[in-house]
Amino acid sequence: MKRSRKAALILMAPALPFMLAGCGEEASQAVVFTSAEECSSFATVAAADQCLADFKAAQALHPQVAPKYANKAECEVDFGAGQCETAPEQHASGSFFMPLMMGYLAGQMLNRQGAAPGAAANTARNGVQSQPLYKSADDRSTFRTATNTPVARQTGPAAVRPSQVQPRASAIAQRGGFGAQAASRQTVGG
Amino acid sequence: MQRIDIEERPDWRARAEETGFQFHTFDGEPYWDESAYYQFSLQQVEDDLEGPTEELHQMAMSLVEDIAGNAQKLQQLGIPEPFWNHIYNSWQNGEPHLYGRMDLSYDGKGPAKLLELNYDTPTSLFETGFFQWVWLEEQMQRGLLPGHADQFNSLQDKLEEAFGRLSLPQPFYFSSVANSVEDKGTVDYLMDIATQAGIDGRYIAIENIGQADGQLVDEEGYYIQGLFKLYPWEFLVQEEFGKVIKTSSTLWLEPSWKMILSNKGILPMLWEKYPDHPNLLPAFFEDSASQPLQAGWVRKPLLSREGANIELLTDAGQRVVENGPYDDGGFIRQALAPLPKFRDNRRQQDTYTLIGSWVVGDSAAGICLREDSSLITKDTSRFLPHIILD
Repeated sequence: MKRSRKAALILMAPALPFMLAGCGEEASQAVVFTSAEECSSFATVAAADQCLADFKAAQALHPQVAPKYANKAECEVDFGAGQCETAPEQHASGSFFMPLMMGYLAGQMLNRQGAAPGAAANTARNGVQSQPLYKSADDRSTFRTATNTPVARQTGPAAVRPSQVQPRASAIAQRGGFGAQAASRQTVGG
Repeated sequence: MQRIDIEERPDWRARAEETGFQFHTFDGEPYWDESAYYQFSLQQVEDDLEGPTEELHQMAMSLVEDIAGNAQKLQQLGIPEPFWNHIYNSWQNGEPHLYGRMDLSYDGKGPAKLLELNYDTPTSLFETGFFQWVWLEEQMQRGLLPGHADQFNSLQDKLEEAFGRLSLPQPFYFSSVANSVEDKGTVDYLMDIATQAGIDGRYIAIENIGQADGQLVDEEGYYIQGLFKLYPWEFLVQEEFGKVIKTSSTLWLEPSWKMILSNKGILPMLWEKYPDHPNLLPAFFEDSASQPLQAGWVRKPLLSREGANIELLTDAGQRVVENGPYDDGGFIRQALAPLPKFRDNRRQQDTYTLIGSWVVGDSAAGICLREDSSLITKDTSRFLPHIILD
């Protein structure tokens, strides 16, 4: 046979149950931990894998979302002496600095039953994304997201609004640098 | 190869619209046309189309090796020097490619002739891989086509297999210009297949891509580590974020070395390397010393799409011209292999038919047919389905 065994659509055909989050936002349950080990002791055995997956997702986001400073002193003013580390990226005259990750928000721990089988820890469409948390110099008891949204004063369950804890890359992005040619020519595919 | 009239499926428009095929009719004129179909023998498909497609593909790939590190040839193709390094590295690093389509002139006998390669931003993918497939299935169910009819169309299977094999970074982004329904349909279909292959695909309009710290970012500021773009490389490199391409670690589909193959300058280079190959047409670069266009020749811009800015003189000296916006670069000349003429009974007119032959990875993956009342196939040319039946 010279043709495909099947021709199927799962996203383009609207009859199928692919729902995006609705408008009326409700608080979601997430959990704050300082380490994957702390999460494991809180979790049932079944959820231990999820602890590690959420922790790794948060750790991976850390260098992307942590606020960046051109020098260590400026970082320590905001986050406290000894609370900053070198960021992986470089600028022309040297390194960037960013606060240490003080804990993480586990977004999927309590959403497990609802999650699609095999869904990765950091790709929940409706839930809270697992992410690193920080503590500022002037308020050592509060866990905050990289965008300075307070999340909890201690580890354990926390109710958060997903849109308030949506991680963003730390640099200010510039946009609209692609697409100019399309405006001057009718069609670009062929 | 025959053109045969057939009754349309009564509900095909509703069927098209419910599967996201919004562009089945353009400005009131049909684009998808199932009032007839083309019928091939298995031998025609295998010997004249599938085999030559893979051979032509290998020949083209062998040229990338010659050109990627050759300043004089890159210059001849009009590729901007600041990107030579990126192209060379993307080729040397073996960056994967997903798909392409070559356009052939073929009348059912004799060797198919390569007209051009669409190896950067080919469209009409959904129509080929999905809608044409469903048409055959439904016409067999309705009893209008015999149950053992087949189609040269393994596009969806091969794309799904490719997405499974390529180990792409995830999430993997898919982009097209915001206001093109046709381009969005093509990208939606690719993203759908990628999802079926287990990839976390996300759509972003090309205009919404941002840059931060020399990396491309999505609307929320996440790094775009992998990007399929239905947007020409020659535009990307000219635009404001062209410089970001060089600093970003984004894996591109198609990779930047495809700039070499999507350029019509590849046609004279193929002819020079493989002179008198039965599937190639004589071709050369136009320069200031070139004679005016001769009868039996075609003039094409190095970069153009959908037949734009193509001019030809038939053997009888009749001039056919398609205007367009791609008049700002060099040109090539190619011997004319006129598209075969068929009779459209319903419209009571002659029609010229082009075969698009798909390549996924390095395999031939099916064909699509386009009809036009002119010898130059355009974006408005009608798409007709085909079958294999002996």
